[in-house]
Amino acid sequence: MPFSDFHGNAETVHTLREMLVRKHFPHALILSGPQGSGKFTLSQMVAKAMNCLERPLSDGLPDFCGHCANCIRIAEADDLEGRFAEAVEARENLRETDKRETRLYVQTHPDVMVIPPDPPQMLVKVDQVRHVIHQIYYKPAEGGERIYIFSDADFMKEAANSLLKILEEPPEFATIFLLTDNPTALLPTIRSRCMHLRLVPIPTAEVEQYLAAVCPEWKPRARALVGRVCGGGLGRARGFDLAGYLAARQDALTLLGPAMGIQDHSALFRVTDTYRSGADGKAKTEQLLRTLYALLEDLLFLRSGTAELVRNQDIQPELARMASEVDFAWIAAAGQRLGEVESGMRRNLLRSLALDTLATALEPVTPK
Amino acid sequence: MAAEATGAIQGTAMEISVSKFELLRELTATQGVVERKTTIPILSNFLFEAGNDRLTITATDLDLSLRTSCAAKVKREGACTIPARKLYDYVRLLPDGEISIKLLENHWVNLRCGRSNTKMVGMARANFPGLPTFPSAGVVKIPAQTLRSMIGRTIFAISSEESRYTLNGGLMVLKPESITMVATDGHRLAHIEKQGEQFEVSGENKTLVPKKAMSEIYSLLQNSEVDAIEFAKDDSTLFFRIGERLLTSRQLTGQFPNYEAVLPRETTKSVVVHGADLNTSIQRVAQFADERSRAIRMKLDKNELKISSSSTDAGESEDSIETAYTADPMTIGFNSEYLLDFLKASNGGEVRLEFKDAQSAGQMRPDDANDDGFKYRYVVMPMRI
Repeated sequence: MPFSDFHGNAETVHTLREMLVRKHFPHALILSGPQGSGKFTLSQMVAKAMNCLERPLSDGLPDFCGHCANCIRIAEADDLEGRFAEAVEARENLRETDKRETRLYVQTHPDVMVIPPDPPQMLVKVDQVRHVIHQIYYKPAEGGERIYIFSDADFMKEAANSLLKILEEPPEFATIFLLTDNPTALLPTIRSRCMHLRLVPIPTAEVEQYLAAVCPEWKPRARALVGRVCGGGLGRARGFDLAGYLAARQDALTLLGPAMGIQDHSALFRVTDTYRSGADGKAKTEQLLRTLYALLEDLLFLRSGTAELVRNQDIQPELARMASEVDFAWIAAAGQRLGEVESGMRRNLLRSLALDTLATALEPVTPK
Repeated sequence: MAAEATGAIQGTAMEISVSKFELLRELTATQGVVERKTTIPILSNFLFEAGNDRLTITATDLDLSLRTSCAAKVKREGACTIPARKLYDYVRLLPDGEISIKLLENHWVNLRCGRSNTKMVGMARANFPGLPTFPSAGVVKIPAQTLRSMIGRTIFAISSEESRYTLNGGLMVLKPESITMVATDGHRLAHIEKQGEQFEVSGENKTLVPKKAMSEIYSLLQNSEVDAIEFAKDDSTLFFRIGERLLTSRQLTGQFPNYEAVLPRETTKSVVVHGADLNTSIQRVAQFADERSRAIRMKLDKNELKISSSSTDAGESEDSIETAYTADPMTIGFNSEYLLDFLKASNGGEVRLEFKDAQSAGQMRPDDANDDGFKYRYVVMPMRI
């Protein structure tokens, strides 16, 4: 599967390939974009193009063959979730004492290393970065370039700091990819040392078309909804957990309940109580916050009279009723509160309490 | 796909028998290379290849790999991979005798020895990383024992700081008539040279050998009776052939610093002491040195070398060694660990200490005109105390 198999963002792909042909590829590249927008797929493609033994051209730009020894071995990591699960299992089978010191890496080709966030915290740890520092100065074994892909550049503090060292003076044959859906969460000192390319969300209509082609078994209504709420990432759309999303949305609506004048808080407390600490709770809370943002955004669209932009179209009547109860100032304030909760999550606030606070702080709505 | 298919066909065919003693000897040799704490599953496996009445065993951690072999009765040629740690632990416990190894379907491997019968599961042979091939040209022979003692006397000075990557290995310099090895961490430098050898190199052949490769060569040479090893390199890899074993290491990038500039030239004060005496004195005194800096003070006086230390919590300590020193007195500070490292690596005879002043590097070397033809010197930066 050559570069032409990459959906959307043709301009970014073109830029990357032009840098390859001009041999001006940056030593470190931040590739940002919404979840499932193909950041990892694209960086794997670049890794293959850099190490492909046949180096075919398409449209006059470097491509990869997909069937040489290097391409095949790099492609084994394409299924990152599968390799990641194997690595986690391999660690589980180690002796207790070794387990604690062992970090996860996926390296199906000696010159291409993927550094996934380390569970249970799901953050890149300092030992992982140190391992990269130790490794990176060895010359490439087979291919021409050594490639390091941080598949989710969410670093522990010390890890981010120690990464600065290799970003500052990397060997000439190494390329570092930092993949993230939120580039502003990276240290400014990291950002300033990397080139930054963005994968933009793919338009809703295109996502729907794509879904019709790859998931014909879905109901058209589900496809339409997913196309709107997936955030423009094809990978995310394909594997979209609609049930999970609807549950999160229901919770989000409950959270907005008090603001809409519902006096009984017992439903609210029942909901927020399910947002616990730990890695599971983290993912769940993140999804809730994202959904809340989306709802606020929809309210904003409705108030501005651009109802066609609303994402959660299936509940538009309910949203319209809510929109008539609030004003711009309230939406702006709610957005800000939500931002506070989000940054609070990074400081490890107790999740259920933070959500309760959010819901009750939204309460003083000025009835229209 | 094609490679995997042939691997599977070869794989099902493999059947051999090998003596436990020989197998265990080879497995033991690979232990330094097999990564225990890896989450890349294939790296915790050995690659077994059978053919021409030999069993070839390969282990790799992607930076360093070792290929070794032993005699085996090959009933059917083929290849397979076997979990390294389990196999080693299991074979160690087997009684002496013949072990038969047979590859079954789905990468299962059957081991039989006497009345013991075991099955364990490996991975597809095609998953095992490819290994570089030994170059045909530019092979240099290096006397095994020379190399071993040179590594033993320099390896401790190699830096383990990741950030100073050009110091994460020792520099080996081959010239037509001499071999030199240098290692430094920026605070001390170990330098050893042997003249009067014959090497098939033109000009100067400089190689940065990673620390892990050096320690692997050292331990392989310890258990080997070969006279000389064969050394070669290509763009990315170093090759060391030690008898039947081939160690390959990826090369480090970067320039080793210009160490010749730091070798002291004008040392005006020198004193000879007995290495073993100095060693025990420093060890005693260092007990009372500051825990972090490990600093001790050396005072050269008429006919006497005083070694002292003091720390606010532990107290203070002083040792005195009789010497034939007559030049001007001087005091200089050092990290005691650095001095002890050298004294441990040198063979305990007379040691010459050479100084210029308290601000310049000190030099230590064995005061032995005939140290098997080695010229060994150790340079330590002083501490301000």
